[in-house]
Amino acid sequence: MKVYDGSQSDEAEEPGPERVKVGIAEYEVTADDAELTTSGLGSCVGVALYDEVHAVAGLIHVMLPEADGMQDDKPAKFADTGTELLIEEMEALGAATGSIEAKIAGGSDMLDFSEGGSGIGDRNIEQVKETLEAYGIPIVGEDVGGDHGRSLRLEAANGDLVVKSANQENQRL
Amino acid sequence: MKVDVKSLDTFNQLAHEGAQEATRSMAQMTGIDAAVDVTRISLIDRADVGEELGSGEFVGVQFGFEGALSGETVLIFEDDQTTEIVEALMPGASDDENMAQSAIQEIGNIMMSGFIDGWAEHLEARIDHTPPGYIEGTSEAILPDDPDVGDHDEVFVFRSEIQWEGESVTFFIYMLPEYEPMAQLMSEYAETGEDAIPIEKLAVFNKMTRQGTEKAAENVQQMSGIETEAEVSQISFVPIEDVPKQFDEKLYVGTVVEFTGVPSGFLLVLFDEASAVTVAEALMPVEMESEGLTEQHKMAIEELGNIMTSGFVDGWANVLQQTVEHTPPTVVHDMGQSIIDPLAAQLGQFQRHAFVIDSQMKTDEVAFQSEIHALPNEQELREALETLDVDRADQTEADHIF
Repeated sequence: MKVYDGSQSDEAEEPGPERVKVGIAEYEVTADDAELTTSGLGSCVGVALYDEVHAVAGLIHVMLPEADGMQDDKPAKFADTGTELLIEEMEALGAATGSIEAKIAGGSDMLDFSEGGSGIGDRNIEQVKETLEAYGIPIVGEDVGGDHGRSLRLEAANGDLVVKSANQENQRL
Repeated sequence: MKVDVKSLDTFNQLAHEGAQEATRSMAQMTGIDAAVDVTRISLIDRADVGEELGSGEFVGVQFGFEGALSGETVLIFEDDQTTEIVEALMPGASDDENMAQSAIQEIGNIMMSGFIDGWAEHLEARIDHTPPGYIEGTSEAILPDDPDVGDHDEVFVFRSEIQWEGESVTFFIYMLPEYEPMAQLMSEYAETGEDAIPIEKLAVFNKMTRQGTEKAAENVQQMSGIETEAEVSQISFVPIEDVPKQFDEKLYVGTVVEFTGVPSGFLLVLFDEASAVTVAEALMPVEMESEGLTEQHKMAIEELGNIMTSGFVDGWANVLQQTVEHTPPTVVHDMGQSIIDPLAAQLGQFQRHAFVIDSQMKTDEVAFQSEIHALPNEQELREALETLDVDRADQTEADHIF
């Protein structure tokens, strides 16, 4: 994997936790101490869920706000059906919604040519928040909006979400 | 012969599943976890096949297939990355050239059988294949010779990029079928609805793109004095969520515009950071003192992006005999993937797949490379192709209107 800063390749030389890449419109859940990564979020949103009690973590990379009316068979592509799917998959691994916490990042409004109304990035974030709220899952950390891209690493061992941006310092949520 | 979104999707998926099957076979043999990153079906100028392989050394296997589809397929690894895979299969073999070769051949054989069998099964047709042969070579020279394409200038290529989890190892599957049987098969899978596109028109669009790129390259040369050549033009078809996957986290500088008309869509002109600095400095009247990319560099890139965009779009407009207008350029400087992601998302509100038009220009003079990517609205592209007079496109080419 090509990286834009030296930190990741340095770390990769030491044997660390398993690293699992999550592509666009994809998700991963884990009950091990894996690191789930996803890259290149523009208006897309990364939703990281962590259940400390049951030691289950999951990450999804959603692209569009709502599946409704899209005739699409990829639930992980959308903020609403994707977030629901991630919660269900976490539960299947032993997590309970009562102990899941969420961290979200992405949803920038760079290059949004939509006329009027809010852009896709904003709508993605709103939809993720709405869906999480419906499940009573609190958002304990977020780095959203702005006009820059982000890459994410969710450390399943402790639920930390590391946000890397091209022109800014890394953030640990 | 016509293709439509459904037939393109079917074949794209077929190749993708074949690559996944091949990857699973490898994982079982070696215990190495790998995932198919992206599969795309492209119509490419014959001379441009394999440009993306750069100048690396590759090893792999090649075999021919015959039946419902005929042609050649290769599975290739970057030479310096094969040690791990060879060791996983035959510990100690990587020190012995012959053993390493047979390990590669063995892996290739297993993977590619899965790949071809998947196709045959789906097509409910017979596809035979020759035993795999070990191959090694530099960059695109490792790829099979052109398949029989008859009178066509283009070749269909299926490409899958496969990445090992957590490793910087990538390998590729290329499948190059003969043109006629492939076109025939795809047209059989097309519904005879309104959205079918004559295959020849896709090829014409490729030509337009090449000429648009040449015009853009000319503009760069005029402005910067750097001799620039247009390289690679291709039209590919991928699920919309795979559009950003052709980029990684590498930083790019460039411009993005939205163009309107038929088709509407987005046009990106991107330079990797080093190229951006080089080309921007060539445009500046005074020598820059600062290191790296500054606001002044970005302003120069904006200007350059603007004239490249105009050149490119004018080329299209001429052939389509339609006005194609575009917004002023927005300058971007970010990870490649996150630049294209919002554009794919905007189109993704209306379409599940995308035609991606890619071209590149480079020069031997200095380290400079630039890419142009167009993301047209799929339905409007079909409309544009429908009204496109193939003869007119050729005429235009001869007249050097670009």
